[in-house]
Amino acid sequence: MNRTHFKFFLSTVLMLFCGFSLIFIHRNPTISNVNYADFKYLPWIASALIMAIIIEIVVVRIKSRRCAWMFSCACFLSCLGILAIARLDYALTIPQIRWFIVGMAAFIVAVRSEKILRQMLNYEYILGISCIILLIIPLIFGVDIGGNKNWLILGNFRIQPSEFAKILLVFFLAAYLSEHRKTLDLREKRLLFFKLPPIRFLAPLIAIWGASLLMFVVARDLGAALIFFAVAVVMTYAATGNKSYFIFALVFFVTGAIISYYAFNHVQIRFNIWLNPWSDPRGAAYQIVESLFAIENGNVWGAGFTKGYPTFIPEVHTDFIFSAIAEELGLVGSISLILIYSLFFYQSVVISLASVKEEEMLLIFGAGIMFFLQTFIIMGGVTKFFPLTGVTLPFMSYGGSSMVSCFILLGVIVALSRKENVNV
Amino acid sequence: MYNIKRNILKLTAIFFILFAFFTAYVIYLQLIQSASHAHNPLDSRNSVLNDNIVRGAIYDNRGRILAKNGDDGARYYPFGEAMAFVTGYADKKIGTGGAESYFNQELSGKTKELTMMGPIGELLRNNQGNDLILTVDSECQQAAFDALEGRRGAVVALDATTGAILALVSSPAYNPNRIVEEWSALNEGEDHPLLNRAINGLYPPGSIIKPMIVDMALENAVTDEHELFTCGGFLDVGGGFSIKEAHDGVHGNLHLKDALVESCNVTFGTLAIRLGADNLEKGFKRYGFYEPIRGEIFESASHIPEFKTLDKGDIAQIGIGQSMLLVTPIRMALIASSIANDGVMTEPYLLEKIISSKGIILNEHKKKELSRVMTKERAGLLKNWMEEVVLSGTGKAAKVSGIRVAGKTGTAENSSDKEHSWFIGFAELEKRKIAFAILIENGGSGADTAAPIARKLILSFEK
Repeated sequence: MNRTHFKFFLSTVLMLFCGFSLIFIHRNPTISNVNYADFKYLPWIASALIMAIIIEIVVVRIKSRRCAWMFSCACFLSCLGILAIARLDYALTIPQIRWFIVGMAAFIVAVRSEKILRQMLNYEYILGISCIILLIIPLIFGVDIGGNKNWLILGNFRIQPSEFAKILLVFFLAAYLSEHRKTLDLREKRLLFFKLPPIRFLAPLIAIWGASLLMFVVARDLGAALIFFAVAVVMTYAATGNKSYFIFALVFFVTGAIISYYAFNHVQIRFNIWLNPWSDPRGAAYQIVESLFAIENGNVWGAGFTKGYPTFIPEVHTDFIFSAIAEELGLVGSISLILIYSLFFYQSVVISLASVKEEEMLLIFGAGIMFFLQTFIIMGGVTKFFPLTGVTLPFMSYGGSSMVSCFILLGVIVALSRKENVNV
Repeated sequence: MYNIKRNILKLTAIFFILFAFFTAYVIYLQLIQSASHAHNPLDSRNSVLNDNIVRGAIYDNRGRILAKNGDDGARYYPFGEAMAFVTGYADKKIGTGGAESYFNQELSGKTKELTMMGPIGELLRNNQGNDLILTVDSECQQAAFDALEGRRGAVVALDATTGAILALVSSPAYNPNRIVEEWSALNEGEDHPLLNRAINGLYPPGSIIKPMIVDMALENAVTDEHELFTCGGFLDVGGGFSIKEAHDGVHGNLHLKDALVESCNVTFGTLAIRLGADNLEKGFKRYGFYEPIRGEIFESASHIPEFKTLDKGDIAQIGIGQSMLLVTPIRMALIASSIANDGVMTEPYLLEKIISSKGIILNEHKKKELSRVMTKERAGLLKNWMEEVVLSGTGKAAKVSGIRVAGKTGTAENSSDKEHSWFIGFAELEKRKIAFAILIENGGSGADTAAPIARKLILSFEK
């Protein structure tokens, strides 16, 4: 661990200290009446930080410094997320720290199973089928929570299988595309003005698109469907460089969007409130209007941590956490957040370019894209940059499935990255 | 391998460009949108701002209290209905209106400057809100409200030099002290007591448009002061339609000045036809009819017809303020004030200054000239002619001895009932020049109904 790393880690700790102090003052305005139960989170956060610093030292030693940077960013984002959740709904603080610890544990497991991960890449069809099975399970046994039928209940835990299917999807696409890269670029068939390979080579891709469509129609999980679709398109282009796929996907997407606009009421509402939230600001558009109010109230410096009113936004701790940060930390906070996610994505791209094997390069890039698209789709959604679809903000949104799957994906990137130090 | 690398780089570049656009959008939201957002009444932050805060008081320009918090925490409005549309109301359930709404943040102790400072501003804020000092004169406001005697109408009085709003009266009004109890009755009220007629009421102007037409006609040289018009009592505009004089009068031969003083419809119909669509449109643009006042005063946009589509008869009707023309009282007061102010239109404003609980002036109004609408010479000419209206023409009821008063009456035909009664003009008092517009819905003749209210208004400043 070098000095810069140490400083970055220190700043994370410092941020946690300041943030929790402010929350404490906010919750206990009079000194005579302090609620000591408020300190229960301390052993949890302490163990999480010790775990983080050990991982960091180990990762730097066995992997590259660049990987350690990615892990540092993930820790910083997770800690900022924990603070934001503690501020928004204090009861969720310890559960979220717990998920952070579980996430890091999953990260260690992923990094240690380097060999298995490499072998997995040889079984593309098993990967693809298990990905689709994982997507279908909740459609059959799933429970409807918050309008999305994508939850499984196992004892005391609620799991979102689609969060884990994301990992399998990236694996499948990397394996399949690197294997069939050449054939996929055969331009035998002409469909209108597209040059496409024979249909049997395309079938697995179409299956993935179909699965994402199914997810969207049956489970009503617009966000996950969009992510699956987009990642598949982007990775296919990365592997083949064939623009026809892009155009084909675009046509597919636009037609699908138009059909679903007329077929599904909830899509229509989503789109209309994006076009004109002010037509029904107290009804259907309530959430997005409140989100905009929060962001606009942030101004340059923000209202100050704990001094704003982000809780006016319904469900702020899951999808709208960016709006909460933007209100209380202002433009300074929101731009910093954007920069950290950009840095995170950039690191993953550089790591992927350093790979020697095609499938690993695609896999790492796919994982990076997965992070980037999720970030972009949810940040753009809550700011009304484009229509809102509910996906989680990587490492920050409340929830175990999301946290753990993000850390596993990060673990995969680190595990497959080359051992020697690349330039930092 | 090489190809994949190239593709990955291309995609990464595209994604970073997209993210850059998004970043620019966030900057736009938090910097530019943020500034215009502060007064959005839908934002619940505005109502929680008052929690644990003693809301600031509102004063008039003589230091009299218009609104303040009582010991019981309730908001108290000493002037009640008379000041209703100036102060507005503040209630947690039904929201806020008027100055209470527009300056909610300031009254709650938050100013733009404090917001800009972010968390540091939060530290500087105390539990005492800021006070507002408005431009209205409670004497004048009360006199105007009383003079309307509960009839449907509006009175606007401005300081012609600065644009300060001295009176902003709309009748019938609600009582802000009892607004919560009476809310549903007010909403269903037949006379629309929640409508601020002074800035949101739209009426045909009738003859009060004539000073403007004089200026347009002389500006475009379609006539001069020496031309002799002949009024035979009606003007044939073709198609079997004609414009008639009020009370079937016949003015005979007369100059432009007399045509204004006598309010001769035949002459002004003729002038409008001579001006034509283009010149009329240019003229109305010059007087700001296409740009309603925004900010603390949210004026409704005037209805100005598409002049090019009008036939000759409708163009002639524009010359006497009829046809499809609909204007607000404050817009007409603004035109009277421009004439009084030697042809320069100044932006009307309601807020003189914001004072913190510690007596520090946080914000003070700066005079803003909107535009020059006519030359100084033309304004001087109109002043003299409009003075003649009060001395010997239709506006005699507004005469006040020892004070120069000038004006123009209007009796506007409309679809509902009796004509709307109008009077616009100005008075040169010792301390200041005031300009005003008075409207009484279905009040009949401007000379009989509206002009006497102007006299009461002017006398109220002498107190």
